[in-house]
Amino acid sequence: MEFMGYQRKDGKYGVRNHVLVMSSVACANGVVEAIGRVFPDVVTICYSYGCGPAGEDVRVAARTLAGIANNPNVGAVLFVGLGCEGMQSGRLAQAVKDKPVANLVIQRDGGSAATTAKGIDIVRRFLDGLRLQPRVPAPLSALVVGLECGGSDAFSGMTANPAVGNAADRFVAEGATVILSETTEMIGTTHILKRRAATPQVAEQIEQMISQQEQVVRDTLGENAGMVIAPGNIEGGLSSITEKSLGCITKGGTTPINEVLKYAERPSKRGLVLMDTPGFDIDSMTGFAGGGTQLILFTTGRGTPAGFPAVPVIKVVSNSTTFKAMPGDIDVNAGAVLDEGKTIEEVGSEIFELTLKVANGLLTCAEVNRSAPFNILKQGPTF
Amino acid sequence: MNNNALKVDEKDNIAVATGPIAMGSAVIVNGEAVCNAFEDIRAGHKVALVAISSGGKVVRYGEVIVQTTQNIKQGQWVHVHNTRPVL
Repeated sequence: MEFMGYQRKDGKYGVRNHVLVMSSVACANGVVEAIGRVFPDVVTICYSYGCGPAGEDVRVAARTLAGIANNPNVGAVLFVGLGCEGMQSGRLAQAVKDKPVANLVIQRDGGSAATTAKGIDIVRRFLDGLRLQPRVPAPLSALVVGLECGGSDAFSGMTANPAVGNAADRFVAEGATVILSETTEMIGTTHILKRRAATPQVAEQIEQMISQQEQVVRDTLGENAGMVIAPGNIEGGLSSITEKSLGCITKGGTTPINEVLKYAERPSKRGLVLMDTPGFDIDSMTGFAGGGTQLILFTTGRGTPAGFPAVPVIKVVSNSTTFKAMPGDIDVNAGAVLDEGKTIEEVGSEIFELTLKVANGLLTCAEVNRSAPFNILKQGPTF
Repeated sequence: MNNNALKVDEKDNIAVATGPIAMGSAVIVNGEAVCNAFEDIRAGHKVALVAISSGGKVVRYGEVIVQTTQNIKQGQWVHVHNTRPVL
C-alpha cells in the first residue's frame, strides 16, 4: 500500500511539510516566539534549557533536538541560539542533513530585533521553497508510527489499547515500523515481552530496560512505589501488575519485537520496536519525534487534547462518555466496542484507515486545535 | 444479543464485564450467551468463561495474568480473592 508523502533527500518521507523554528536555549525563546507570531502556521519549539543540565541529560537533549529537526515531517529548519549557551545551535544545525537549514545567534546577529527580522526573511524563503514541493507516492513501509497512552481509565485496556494494537499489526503487515514505549507501564510483563523478542540479544535488552526502570521507580518513590508498581486499580478489577501493564502493551499488537531503542533514537529495524521512554506522555512523544516518528496513535480514557509539534497525533478514546464530553478533541471513539457492538477488529481497521488519511494530509483534532505541548526527558539536576 | 463482556484474545478463559452483570443473568461475549453469572460481576471485573481448577492459569490478552488459588466455576468472579500473581 502507498500514501502520498513529501520525499526527503535521505530517502525518507514526511506526512507534513513543516517549517520548524527551534531554540537551542531558553534565552532564545523570545525570538522564536516573535517569528512564530508572524507565521502562525510555522511550527515553533521552545526548548526550556540549553544551559543548566549536565552529562547524560545534555546528550539526550542534543540527540532529541537534532532528531526532531531531522524528522521527515520537517521540510526546513531554523535554529535560534543565544551564543554563550552549552547547547550550541550551530552544532545542532550541522546535524541536519536532509533539508534546508539555517542558524541564527542572537549575540552575533544583532540582538533580538535584528535576529527576529533575519529569521522572518529566512522562514519566508523556506516557505516559498516548500510550497512548490508536491506529495508523491510513498510505500507504507516508510512510516514510523508511535503508540502512546495518557489519561487512561479502566476501559483503556479493554477497548482503545487493543484496537490500537490491531491497527499496529496492520501497519507491521505493511512493512511499517511501530514504536511501543513507556517503560514504566511495562513493569510486570518482562517475561511476556522477552518471549516476543526477535533475538536473544533483544530479549536481554528488554530485561535490562524494564528492570532498570523498576529500580528507578523503587528508589525514587520509596514506599509510594506501589502507586506505580501495584496492580493499578484493584477496585477497578485489575488483579495483578501483569494484567495492568498488559493493558498498556496491548497497544503494540502481537508481532515480534525487533529492536530496543534509547530515548529519541532512530529505529534501524522495521516492525514492532520498543523505545525507553517515561510514562509521562509529552516526554514520551518527544522521544518518538526525535526518533523520526511521522505519526502518533494516542489512546486516552479521561481525555486529553495534547498533540505534538510537527507530528500529527490521532486520539483514540476508550469510552463514549469522554468522546461526547470533549467534542473536537478525539479522533476515534473505541467506546463503540462497549455500546455500539463494534468489534476490536472493526475499530482497529477504522484507526488504520484514518491514519492513512492523516498521512495523506487530513488534519487531526490536535492539529486543528494547534495543541502542541513540548518537553524533553530530563533526569538529573540543573546546575 | 448485546455483549456485556469482552474477550480480547482467542486464548482468554475470562471476559471482562463492560457493565454490571447480575447473578444468574447471561454472560454475553461476541453475541453469544456463554454461561450465567454465578454471582454479581461489577463493570471492569473478570468473569470465568470456563471452570478453572485450583492452581490453574487465568488468561487475558492471550497471556497468563494470575494463577487461581481455588477451584473457580464457570460464571464466577475472578479477582484477587481467588487468584495470586504468577511472578
